[in-house]
Amino acid sequence: MSEYTVVGQTVARVDAVEKVTGAAQYGADIHPPGMLYGKIVRSKHAHANIRSIDTSEAEKLPGVRAIITQDDVPSGRRVFATDKVLYLGEPLAAVAATDPDIAEEAAERIKIDYEVLPVVQDVMEAIKPSAPRLHGDDTKDGPNRREISGQIRTLSRDKENDHSDEISKLEAGLEAYPDEVYYNISAESHTEAGDVEKGFAESDVVVEDTYVIPRVHQTYMEPHVSVASADSSGKITVWASTQGPFAIRSGIAGTLGIPLTQINVIGTTMGGGFGGRFGVIITHVPAVLLSQKTGRPVRVQMTREEEFTDGRPAPGCVIKLKTGATNDGRILAREALAFWDSGSVSGASIGSTIRVRGVYKIPNLKVDAYGVHTNKSGTAAYRAPGAPQAIFAGESQLDEIAERIGMDPVKFRLMNMREEGDEVPAGGSEPKVGYKETLEAVADAAGWWDREADENQGWGVAVGDWTNGCGPGGVYVSVHEDGSARIFHGSMDITGTDTAISQIIAEILTVPYESVTIRRGDTDSAPYSTGSGGSVVTFTMGNTAKLAAEDAHRRILELASERLNTNVDDLELKDGAVHIISAEQPKSISLGELAAYSLSTTGGPIVGKGSFARQASTPALAAQIAKVEVDPGTGRTRVLKLVASQDVGFAINPMAVEGQIEGGTVQGYAWAMMEEMQYGDEGNINPGFVDYRVPTSADLPTVESVIVEVPAPNGPYGAKGVGEPPITPTLATMANAVKDAIGIRITELPIKPEKVVDALKSNGR
Amino acid sequence: MAKLPVSLTINSDEHDLLIEPRKTLLAVLRDTVGLTGTKEGCSTGDCGACTVIVDGKAVTSCMVLAVTASGKEITTIEGLASDGELHPVQQAFINTGGYQCGFCTPGFIMASKALIDENPDRTEEEFRHALGGNICRCTGYTKILEAVLKAAEEIRTTA
Repeated sequence: MSEYTVVGQTVARVDAVEKVTGAAQYGADIHPPGMLYGKIVRSKHAHANIRSIDTSEAEKLPGVRAIITQDDVPSGRRVFATDKVLYLGEPLAAVAATDPDIAEEAAERIKIDYEVLPVVQDVMEAIKPSAPRLHGDDTKDGPNRREISGQIRTLSRDKENDHSDEISKLEAGLEAYPDEVYYNISAESHTEAGDVEKGFAESDVVVEDTYVIPRVHQTYMEPHVSVASADSSGKITVWASTQGPFAIRSGIAGTLGIPLTQINVIGTTMGGGFGGRFGVIITHVPAVLLSQKTGRPVRVQMTREEEFTDGRPAPGCVIKLKTGATNDGRILAREALAFWDSGSVSGASIGSTIRVRGVYKIPNLKVDAYGVHTNKSGTAAYRAPGAPQAIFAGESQLDEIAERIGMDPVKFRLMNMREEGDEVPAGGSEPKVGYKETLEAVADAAGWWDREADENQGWGVAVGDWTNGCGPGGVYVSVHEDGSARIFHGSMDITGTDTAISQIIAEILTVPYESVTIRRGDTDSAPYSTGSGGSVVTFTMGNTAKLAAEDAHRRILELASERLNTNVDDLELKDGAVHIISAEQPKSISLGELAAYSLSTTGGPIVGKGSFARQASTPALAAQIAKVEVDPGTGRTRVLKLVASQDVGFAINPMAVEGQIEGGTVQGYAWAMMEEMQYGDEGNINPGFVDYRVPTSADLPTVESVIVEVPAPNGPYGAKGVGEPPITPTLATMANAVKDAIGIRITELPIKPEKVVDALKSNGR
Repeated sequence: MAKLPVSLTINSDEHDLLIEPRKTLLAVLRDTVGLTGTKEGCSTGDCGACTVIVDGKAVTSCMVLAVTASGKEITTIEGLASDGELHPVQQAFINTGGYQCGFCTPGFIMASKALIDENPDRTEEEFRHALGGNICRCTGYTKILEAVLKAAEEIRTTA
């Protein structure tokens, strides 16, 4: 029996009714009077010099109210491309018109004169001297040139076990590599602990391989949208579909050189984000510029096609990985070299390459990572940014080692997992985390220990770790004369966080969950709150809410002590009323009565304030097991069972937590088996749901989720961020299951049917 | 562009409108009539977010020109609850946690309602395939299927 009455219970979410009745207001549902429709004019080439932009024909179209280019950006900060475009879909201009169809027609009438340039889309091509340079001049001494460490030639894949033609081509290219320099490098990151050479020398088994992970889109269901309204005084209001209204406010201010206080950002209900909804320029800045120019509200809404060509998806990467272990199952060394496809700008999460270390004791570790420019849009976060890619490589290779030393993959992982007090590679010591508990829980739930598999069936296991972020937040809570409580804050609800905050407040104020309501303010009114990403919200805003409720609790006892003429220490708040503890004559006063009384006191109404920014977070583990069946004729992989466990610290709302586990796992499944943004010389070639397939309910069985609770010391009630961990292991879970089913290791995602058929063929099957 | 007269019965209300022939039913519902509960997720008929019920059948309203819907009975998500009571499908989505961000939810609820009205006796596997035209990116579908099966059961037993 839980010691709590509201937290830890499944409750209907605070937004339940508005979301099932269509009443919730998303960005595109905002329609101020006189609103114009904006449309962004985009590059039709992946790499080209711009000779001229001619808007004259478009201006003639009735209904067109404004056309803007970079010349209309007073700050000079880059919003539109001017002399050169680096990817298909890069913004060049924007139109505002009285009707969306007119805006689209006007955009098509704008004539752009291009001088088409050579294109590079493959990271392993882009680093070569022969590649076109995206930034700087075309000489080899441009700004994105890096000396290399030489190890690119010493790390090679395991040719006996890797049958990917694509990788063979890359390897052949690298072997012929004539220079000691990488080109088109956007960023680099290097980490070293111990001595990997010594570790490999002492190992009985060494496995090397190259893993290729595609670029995928977050594919939130609501395309980006903003509605901007600039009034005659210069005040700007922006209704934005974003994970971080305060970041959008400062981003717009910085980009356009407008004072912060002149911009009010109203976050609209968010139709999914997954890390991809933080961009400032994307639709928000063009909407503001168009509104400033026309003096009318303007909505800029992306189509799904625009999302694919000019969204900020998750970076693909190539990871060369080498692991050494002893015959009795101890991992001694691991070395990684990664090339992340950053697209036209830097920003790929290359630092996440370190996650190849997993949650294991690896005494010798070396990681070198590079971000590489290609002719694609830039990238952004996607649910545990960088972790699914690195963990796919790490966990795939662990299974290869386990197989070679003849050890069960679960036992091999359990044996190498870090334990409380172990040294952490980054410094410090390992806190108590339910690594083993979570893996054991999924193994038990899935029936791993007595698993059976028919022909062409296989089982796969993998684990992934992630630590929630944390950031600044502010919460107010007011208690009203009817005993209800109202929460006011500024962070976007990310599918259940407002509910968790409400549960926490109800718990501390000892009132029914139903009597607590929550309101999110805009950036003009709400206390500063961090963006809703990095699994921060429950941790940060939960802690903030707790502080606010505790502050209100103090005031409540203070008022009760005045009213009941008793020392505060003798009072207890329980069931929505303050009681005198162990009084001979029991006396109590309700919260409503206290709230009414407070209005005529010197100290004033009951308003609790919570403000919080930083506490150490605790890692969380997700462990998953899949059972699959591969049809050797068609290459199709069918999931028979998918079980996902996660150490969530403490589940504030168990049903919502299960929802996060299930959703994240299916996104991981999709990355492993289906999704891939494909590029040719003309840019992205699959910008729609027919060619970029995401899973539907027909693709998968029920995902079984298993909640493990090992409390985080600084989390509210021990809670950890739950959103990101579940996507981290699934890529490897699926690849390991396919390997078990067909006996062939596929190292290049996604594992589409044709890839399976090719792998079987090249193995003579 | 010349506008044509169109009569639409939307959630039992009659609307006599003048509409450009190029406008989709989705655009008219959202921009002209102001019923924004129906969502635009792809504009190509692939995601199901814009699903409404036209003469008893679930259709993706982004693929229907509004002029072709003249004279037809249209039900949108706003027309589902009656007398302040949620429809059993709506209630089931709440009870099972069958929604997260909520953007695909109106489409899923309308598609589910049409399927259940047509045949509430479908198996889970049949519902999984029948709902294959609707994309949800948050839930992984487990709790959506739970909701649909629960609603179907309730409608079956109370019918």
